[in-house]
Amino acid sequence: MAWRRWVQRHGWTVGIWLLLLFLVVWYSTLIPRFGGFQTATIISGGTAWIFLGVAQAVVVIAGGLDLGVGGMLVLTSVTAAQLMEGQSLGMVVVIAIGIVIAAAILNGFVGWIITVSKVPDIVVTLGSLYVYQGLALMVLPKVGGGTNGSFRWMFTGSENGIGSNPWPSIVVIVIPVIIVAWWMGRTKSGLSLYAVGSDASAAFLSGVRAGRTKIVAFAVAGAFAALAGFSSVSISGVGNPTTEGGNLTLNSVAAIVIGGVALTGGIGSAIAVVPAALILFFFNPILSALGVDPNRAQVVQGVLIVFVMMIAGLLEWRRLRRS
Amino acid sequence: MSDVPTTMIQGGANESAPEKPSMASRLAARPQLVLVGVLIVLIFATGIVEPNYLSITGLKNSLVWAIPIGILAAGQTILMITGGIDLSIAMIATASAYIAANQSSNGVMFAIAVGLLVGIIAGTLNGLGVGVFRVNPLIMTLAMAGILLGLFTGWATTIFAGSTRMHDFIRTLGGGSFLGGKVPWAAVIWAGVAVFVVLLLRKTGFGRNLYALGDNAVASRLSGIRAWQVLVAAYAISGLLGSVAGLIVGGRIGSVDLQLVGFLLLPSVAAAVIGGTSIFGGIGTYTGTILGALILGVLQSLLTFLGAGQAVQQVLYGSIVIGLSWMYSRLATRQ
Repeated sequence: MAWRRWVQRHGWTVGIWLLLLFLVVWYSTLIPRFGGFQTATIISGGTAWIFLGVAQAVVVIAGGLDLGVGGMLVLTSVTAAQLMEGQSLGMVVVIAIGIVIAAAILNGFVGWIITVSKVPDIVVTLGSLYVYQGLALMVLPKVGGGTNGSFRWMFTGSENGIGSNPWPSIVVIVIPVIIVAWWMGRTKSGLSLYAVGSDASAAFLSGVRAGRTKIVAFAVAGAFAALAGFSSVSISGVGNPTTEGGNLTLNSVAAIVIGGVALTGGIGSAIAVVPAALILFFFNPILSALGVDPNRAQVVQGVLIVFVMMIAGLLEWRRLRRS
Repeated sequence: MSDVPTTMIQGGANESAPEKPSMASRLAARPQLVLVGVLIVLIFATGIVEPNYLSITGLKNSLVWAIPIGILAAGQTILMITGGIDLSIAMIATASAYIAANQSSNGVMFAIAVGLLVGIIAGTLNGLGVGVFRVNPLIMTLAMAGILLGLFTGWATTIFAGSTRMHDFIRTLGGGSFLGGKVPWAAVIWAGVAVFVVLLLRKTGFGRNLYALGDNAVASRLSGIRAWQVLVAAYAISGLLGSVAGLIVGGRIGSVDLQLVGFLLLPSVAAAVIGGTSIFGGIGTYTGTILGALILGVLQSLLTFLGAGQAVQQVLYGSIVIGLSWMYSRLATRQ
């Protein structure tokens, strides 16, 4: 019976990793050469998607939903581009830490509004999405700014954003994800996310401070959205305030759903979001390698998401019937 | 000039929700009165910023903003009552407008019919996904929006290449007025939609099923409601309403593109929520949503007259939506 429980617990995660592996192998047969350049492009391109997915996962596991993360990505990326242009690496790192902290405080404030006002998350964060996009336009009215070459290397493995060294992006993904996974799985404050997400009143009655937990979740999401913002600046080299934050949020929701995070809260892990986000991002190069119109990628993505949800619903239904 | 209206808004909010407990609890019993108060205060605040606003032309301008929001929000209201939401409604609207404009050369009736058909089909698919396959409504409709955008981006250069200009009749419906240019035709359509939706929610068994389903899905199943049929119908109606709104927006602007209605998605959700519809289901009225849509329409005029740039407008808009829903939820919980 042990293996059955293991499958039940980790089956989804393993399945997602296998799907990613399958896509990688398939992709490598589709294109003439699959080497460092392709790997680096996919991983560095997927970095922002992964961070945004993790941001969303933290909030959703705590029983919330943050439609503002995409807006936060835009806001932090233009702020970074505005402040980092022409600075030394040391200065850039200081600015980056400052932006991460500011993003955490700002999004934590959104979490506070939700906790105090009892207005549904989806409404408040629709509002914060608007506010962030507006603030981004205030910080940087049009495409511009820049950042330090070494900073770009950290996120993309190259000083101009396109290179064939995937390792820096891998490191920059793995460290924060491991930290947040450790926090969520091993610490009291992290585990309280699951407690609040699965049953807020039960958590409250057993002494978990539900309000504070939600605020912390939103703050962590803000910080991860800021990391996603840095990745986006590092790839393009500039800040773009007209990016549609809403669409980025949608990607993050899709990523967590495929990654097995339950939208009802309390179930899922940050690590499983990594392959899910990569899978979603991966569709664009695969379909273009197949010679499919890139617009079709969106259709395939949408169908895939619905399909995955249907399978998840079916599994859940079978599990309920058996027990 | 720019700081006058903000203080006015705050002053107005204080007036309509004063500190005295007796008054507050009386207002809490009828939160829609508060919305009417907010609406009136906003109208006068806009009048102070721009004196010409307090005229039929000025108010008509706000109404023209409110109409598509109100119609889209009708779909959101119906679905939120069931505990769902439609994040694809703006894309459905865009797709309908696009196809109607493209088919305008084949006669206006045909153009309108295929436009509305798009909404019904997409809505029905949403309903099947949510009702039969139990896909989370948020995900189902998000995915539908992505699918439609992908399909139409591809089709725009292939099978639907060509004219993006709306038929003159639809342009009149969307942007024209009668009675000497005082009453927009679109307002008549909205009035029709309003009567339909209000009667649907209040007077029909279907409407009661919607509330029952959103309030307690298990109990409603045990009492014999076939949830999936109700949901498919509800999502199809929402899609149809999306198409109507799309034709109106397309008619007003005159030509279409694939970003036509997208900017109205968040306002459509916001209007329903400001109007007191609970996103968790079981609670809500369309009259409240109408007030929410009117408030957002006047707000749009106010922000335009303030001459604020797009950036400031977005920040204010987002903050005010949060503020209004906060105020409403406080009144509701006090009751």
